[in-house]
Amino acid sequence: MEKRIGVYICHCGGNISDYVDVEKVRQSVEGDDNIVLAETTMFACSDANQKDMVEDIKNHKLDGVIVASCSPKLHLVTFRNVTERANLNKYTYVHANIREQSSWAHSDNKEGATEKAIHLVKSAIAKARHTEALEPTKVKAEKAVAVIGAGIAGLKAAISLSNKETHVFLIEKEAAVGGWVAKWRDLSMSDETGEALIKRLYEDLKKRDNVTIFTNSEVVSNAGSIGNITLKVKRKDEEFDITVGSILVATGFEPYKPDEGEFGFSTVPNVITLPEFKQLIDHEKDTLTYNGKKVRNVAYIYCVGSRQPEGGNTYCSRYCCTATIHAANEARKKFKDIQNFHFTRGVRSYGKQELLYAESLQGGDIYLQSYEDHLPTVFVRNNKPVVRINDILTGGKELEVEVDLVVLVTGMTPRSDNSVGTMFKLPKGRDKFFNEIHMKLRPVETVIDGVTIAGACQGPKTIIETVNSALSAATKSYTNVSKGMLETDPQIAEIDAKACTGCEDCLPLCPFDAISMKKDGEKPVAVINGTLCKGCGMCTPVCPTDAIDLIAFSNVEIMGMIDALI
Amino acid sequence: MATINPKFGKNLKKYGGVNFNACYNCGNCTAVCSLATQDVSFPRELVRMSVVGLEDEIKTSLKPWECYYCGECSTHCPQDANPGELMMSLRRWLTAKYDWTGLSGLFYKYLPAFLTALVLVFAGVLFFANSVNWELERMLHYGHLFEMVAIATVFVVIFIPNLLRMWYFTVIKTGTKAPLKNYFTALGDLFVHMFTQKRAKDCEDNHFRWLEHLILVIAYLSLLFTTVFLNWFGTENLFVIILGYLESAFIFIITVDFVKDRIQKKKALSKKSQPSDWFFVIWLLLMGLTAFCVRLFIDLNILETNKWMYLFHLMVLAQWALLIVPFGKWTHFLYRSFAMYFAKLKTLSTTK
Ligand SMILES: Cc1cc2nc3c(=O)[nH]c(=O)nc-3n(C[C@H](O)[C@H](O)[C@H](O)COP(=O)(O)OP(=O)(O)OC[C@H]3O[C@@H](n4cnc5c(N)ncnc54)[C@H](O)[C@@H]3O)c2cc1C
Ligand code: SF4
Ligand code: SF4
Ligand code: SF4
Ligand code: SF4
Repeated sequence: MEKRIGVYICHCGGNISDYVDVEKVRQSVEGDDNIVLAETTMFACSDANQKDMVEDIKNHKLDGVIVASCSPKLHLVTFRNVTERANLNKYTYVHANIREQSSWAHSDNKEGATEKAIHLVKSAIAKARHTEALEPTKVKAEKAVAVIGAGIAGLKAAISLSNKETHVFLIEKEAAVGGWVAKWRDLSMSDETGEALIKRLYEDLKKRDNVTIFTNSEVVSNAGSIGNITLKVKRKDEEFDITVGSILVATGFEPYKPDEGEFGFSTVPNVITLPEFKQLIDHEKDTLTYNGKKVRNVAYIYCVGSRQPEGGNTYCSRYCCTATIHAANEARKKFKDIQNFHFTRGVRSYGKQELLYAESLQGGDIYLQSYEDHLPTVFVRNNKPVVRINDILTGGKELEVEVDLVVLVTGMTPRSDNSVGTMFKLPKGRDKFFNEIHMKLRPVETVIDGVTIAGACQGPKTIIETVNSALSAATKSYTNVSKGMLETDPQIAEIDAKACTGCEDCLPLCPFDAISMKKDGEKPVAVINGTLCKGCGMCTPVCPTDAIDLIAFSNVEIMGMIDALI
Repeated sequence: MATINPKFGKNLKKYGGVNFNACYNCGNCTAVCSLATQDVSFPRELVRMSVVGLEDEIKTSLKPWECYYCGECSTHCPQDANPGELMMSLRRWLTAKYDWTGLSGLFYKYLPAFLTALVLVFAGVLFFANSVNWELERMLHYGHLFEMVAIATVFVVIFIPNLLRMWYFTVIKTGTKAPLKNYFTALGDLFVHMFTQKRAKDCEDNHFRWLEHLILVIAYLSLLFTTVFLNWFGTENLFVIILGYLESAFIFIITVDFVKDRIQKKKALSKKSQPSDWFFVIWLLLMGLTAFCVRLFIDLNILETNKWMYLFHLMVLAQWALLIVPFGKWTHFLYRSFAMYFAKLKTLSTTK
């Protein structure tokens, strides 16, 4: 059957028609093959015009529609919806951009702009002649989610998923759940201890039927794609498979380990890290002692392993200013005669945490500050560590103090064991933490469909921020499995098995590992996994026999468009 | 290179420094201070030095004297660190450092010591009255003599050595090379500042206070002159008598206003009164009031009651002259003027 195409050319209230002669464009396509209707309109997106379009599609029995207007980013979806309202498959709609690509770009040359607009509309017609109705691919989604890592992020995510009546497999590498938080007693901005917080979450989870907790366990391999992923889990000596629809990665962080000699670490006596200091003040009673000596004066050196110059860890670890100030306050309150000296790079106790900073100042703590190029130094005198700084708050004057203990405020670094990242091909940012798709708009999704990330594995976070991201990742993972069925975009690549020679040239090119080899009778051919393919088109040009075609951007469509343009 | 010394800040609290540790170095105070300049920057710098305890730097600094305590900085400090009060406490600390006897420091830090000294002086006055058989005539005679001797002694024994110490700390120790000529050239500043306190006028919204202060200084100095050199209580000269009445009335009225401010605590500068501030205004007030009454009683011929009135006046006077003037807030007036003098001297000279 001959295609029946309708074309609408928009004035955009003058945005287009001031430079492009829309009537001329209309005349140039009117009467072309397959063109049943060609009209101009003041505002194609207006309600009135949308209603008219629906009527036109029905009355003229159109099976292809083109609107030549603004950028598809603005209104592609609008007009696809119009076709759907007229019971026409939305993939038969084709958009031509004659505003950004013509009237605005060539406002100095009206004739040229009109000429270009005509070509753009003709190329859209060339594509529309070949468009076909497409249906989204439906795949079954296993109503289960695997949460990898049972730190506070994993625990909260598991509870949230369990509430949504999804089965949760919580997989933890260590013997106990809780991650780092389980190791902290007093927490900033909370009356509950870290241990208590974790205990409460763990007790809650244990009661739930739809949660399976595997401790001492790790994922060793995976297969399948969103909706249907099989994980091989290794627990001590046994191995078993679980099948889930989505994966939530919450493997957390590791504290930065200072190099030997970095601010006197392991070369000057009594230099420890913040995690060590926290454990020390938690366990000492009445008097604070270290190595058998009473501690009175404590120096904290901030940003160790964070905010380093280019080439190192350039990021700020976010949690540590607050955690240090909090620990210093606790130490001052718990033990007598403690004097704290903070050697900072500028305090970042943002939000409500500022209250802790104020408390610390009022308690008599002394803050000093330096720039990145003039960091404090630590050396030994009289068997005691001495910290020296050019304090920018005192006009750059060189100041020093002899102390009993130096605490290196170590930042957060990504887990050194990246097996999970490698297994799921999770992209990493420049900071080497796992990367989200969009920092602001899609903060917990990854480019790997079905895999979300939460907590400190994604970058330095406090508990509040960790829990926030865990809850949103749980929701995102849930949407993957909630319906028990998944719709995927039909605009993907397909391989004509007859034409495929099995050369395997396309295999290494696919960034998503969507192509694999399969026997077609005796002959090995390439096949595409529809749920993994993103329709990026990388594979099509390399195929020597043109066996690969991209649905909705097929070779005939693209060639037709090019012909119309030149 | 200097050592961070938190003890300094703790000690400064005894001189009236409050909550300056809360300072987070935003610099608002320096920005709003109408007396700070690009070259002479305060009070943040001094707050900072106090927090880290740079004792030597502060001891040799003239900056605390360049502040006239308008209180603007304290009003604008987001941390309530009271930079204005910090400057005040540094002035107290400096007077203690300049004072070779160590009594100033003792009196600032330990109120009981000062109260004991007040009682001792009071006992001395009673002892004296008893030795002259409580006769008004003789009390007036010796009282007058005492005034002259006291002024001279305080000057020679306390002020001159202390000013020399101040000079040594702030001029010599900072390596100023000043030829003798500069000492004369700068002298003008000394007197202008001593008698007009003209910098205080530059403090924002402070003109009325400055005027009050100016009148008080003039009234006080001329009353001193009128009683000591014109022998107000003994004279028959009508002009001198009226002059004395006017001077003492002015002192009384203005000090009442100052006391009222300190009680109401509306302005930043009168919010945090130390005992030394109270003693200063109250004794000044009593001086004006009792002097006025003594002369009034003489003129009204109420001589029997006047005996007690004069005894009271003499006690106030003795405590004032022997304690408050040499070791209390009065010295600020002197050091401040000399600070301006030394500052001028330093701008005229070179530093090593
Ligand atoms: C010294 C210090 C003090 C702190 N104090 C505070 C504070 O007072 N307040 C505050 O809000 N925050 C504080 N924090 C930050 C807080 O610890 C983190 O925000 C929190 O731990 C992040 O939780 P998480 O679950 O993302 O990561 P983690 O706590 O690191 O948990 C990750 C879990 O995943 C597991 N895991 C890792 N790899 C695998 C794998 N391959 N397979 C299976 N499991 C795996 C780990 O064993 C661990 O149990 C502090 C941090 C430090 C270092
Ligand atoms: S939170 Fe503070 S200590 Fe930690 S990296 Fe950032 S600035 Fe440095
Ligand atoms: S279109 Fe892209 S994602 Fe799909 S198979 Fe080809 S290369 Fe892979
Ligand atoms: S305004 Fe207050 S906080 Fe800011 S620098 Fe001055 S004293 Fe410090
Ligand atoms: S009290 Fe006034 S003069 Fe003194 S430092 Fe503050 S703003 Fe400046």
